[in-house]
Amino acid sequence: MFFEKYRKKADGTIRFYDLHSTKTKILCVIIFIICFLIIIVALFPPVWVFLAGFKNIKEFTNHPTILPEKFDFTVFFKTWKQMKFFRYYINSAIVVAGSIICAVIFNGIMAYGLAILKPKGYKVIYALIMWSMLIPATTSMIALFVNISKIGLSHTFIPLWLQVGANAFFVLMFKQFFESLPKELIEAAKLDGCGYIRTFRSIIIPLSKSIVMVIIIFTINAAWSDFLLPYLILNNSGKETVMVRLYMFQAGSTTSVDILRAVVYSIIPPIILFLVFQKQITEGAATGALKG
Amino acid sequence: MSKTKNNYIQQRGKPLLQRKDIIGWLIMLPTIVLFGFFVWEPLLESVILSMHNANGIRLEEFVGFNNYIELFQYPIFLKSLVNTFVYIFWSLVIGFFTPMILAILITETVHFKSFFRIGVYFPNMIPGLATVLMWRYLFLPGDTGVFNIILSKIGIEPQVWLNNTALTIPLIIVIMTWRGAGATALLYMANIGNIDPGLYEAATIDGANIFKRIRYITAPSIFSLGKTLLIIQIIAVFQILYEPLVLKQGGPNNASYSIMMVVWNYANRNFDYPMAAATSVVICAILIILSGLYFKITKTKED
Repeated sequence: MFFEKYRKKADGTIRFYDLHSTKTKILCVIIFIICFLIIIVALFPPVWVFLAGFKNIKEFTNHPTILPEKFDFTVFFKTWKQMKFFRYYINSAIVVAGSIICAVIFNGIMAYGLAILKPKGYKVIYALIMWSMLIPATTSMIALFVNISKIGLSHTFIPLWLQVGANAFFVLMFKQFFESLPKELIEAAKLDGCGYIRTFRSIIIPLSKSIVMVIIIFTINAAWSDFLLPYLILNNSGKETVMVRLYMFQAGSTTSVDILRAVVYSIIPPIILFLVFQKQITEGAATGALKG
Repeated sequence: MSKTKNNYIQQRGKPLLQRKDIIGWLIMLPTIVLFGFFVWEPLLESVILSMHNANGIRLEEFVGFNNYIELFQYPIFLKSLVNTFVYIFWSLVIGFFTPMILAILITETVHFKSFFRIGVYFPNMIPGLATVLMWRYLFLPGDTGVFNIILSKIGIEPQVWLNNTALTIPLIIVIMTWRGAGATALLYMANIGNIDPGLYEAATIDGANIFKRIRYITAPSIFSLGKTLLIIQIIAVFQILYEPLVLKQGGPNNASYSIMMVVWNYANRNFDYPMAAATSVVICAILIILSGLYFKITKTKED
């Protein structure tokens, strides 16, 4: 029965004992239906892009329909080939891979210093990191780009990789987690003669698999979706990422349906990532970010 | 080597830095360098850059505040500044309450709850640029635009959507809310989950109905979190770039021109980096003042 499950409900306002009134029962059903409508609104645009990608340009501009006439996958492959998407996928994959390594190592060792080693004066760095969270990154983007050009790193992936290594949110997430680790283990490692680096590599990281996983997932999504700095650095370098290419397609003379197919290609990897790691992602978004 | 260092430290009695401290700093050093290069130094560099003339990326002469004076006489900049406050207004009307409502509704369900949580977060995974492109076609004017097709089914005339200057900014906020509301709703849901269930039971015994319980127990809790999220939201709205840029190039008639678009156009169209930096510094200054004011106001209210 629909209402039987409310017996176990222990969060929010409505409880099982409220359900003796018919009004509340109706309210519960209405809320349930509204939630379904909300999900339809959330899912409709990406589903529509996928459907519209099957249309040809004539059908797209002339037929006022939502469903395409036929589902012919070859049009998608044609666009993939025509726009040389494979190359941009590879470029994006290189950016993502380097970003993962930098995100875990650099933010990890910083948090290790702040949460466990705590050298004299570490609070200054901690305060600076907290402060930098308040100032939006985009405001210093131009100066950063000029600096990168000056040291000759524009048109390379290196600044995109290293940039992820200086992420205040990730440092805080790591710090929070390291502080919750049992102190005895770290002390024991010290007594066993583990050096500082070895303690980090063989004790702390293996214990922190769950947070490392969350940070890797968020890094993949952020690195794949990032546009501003990649555009400034990689524009016209032949190393453009999928997002940079997507921007150039829409600003150029590409047809609408080709752009829509390009959008489909650009959202497939994040969707797969989400389908596989939905639990870690929604939990990380609900708790990790809040604590930071 | 380390032994001599130890001896040296012991000789001095109470040293300023112990071996442990030095190693700690050395371990953090690479990341500190990265933060310096990617976060802290560019902030200073923005100020320096904004006070110079430049040819491409080469600085030429010091011009003091001339760039700022030029910026404040630039009509599009002033227009974008006004637009920013229109953006903030609509983001408060549409974007601030939507996640709260989503969170309350989903918390009250027992069937498909995790499906709702996941579904509502899903749009957040779609890259910003792809989101905007997608919605550009959904809002297509004429009778083949998706929303116009839907409207025609219920007998409403096709709309021009983004081409209507009065609707451009609110619709951009709708797009941003579509993408961002789910993530914020999860934060509110975690917040509601932390409310002591005893409070609700006590209120029920006192005779409070469902709406009263939401009004006096749930709402105060999520609003205290909302206060913090509000300033984060305002900071995000100041940085709106993709939406107006990709949807209408700031149009129609500069109605959606955002302040970050000024930066973008200076940097990518004119290659005038000092002016772009000057605009960035102004944005940063406004945000620091706003955050300062905000924290002061919310603090005095609590006392």
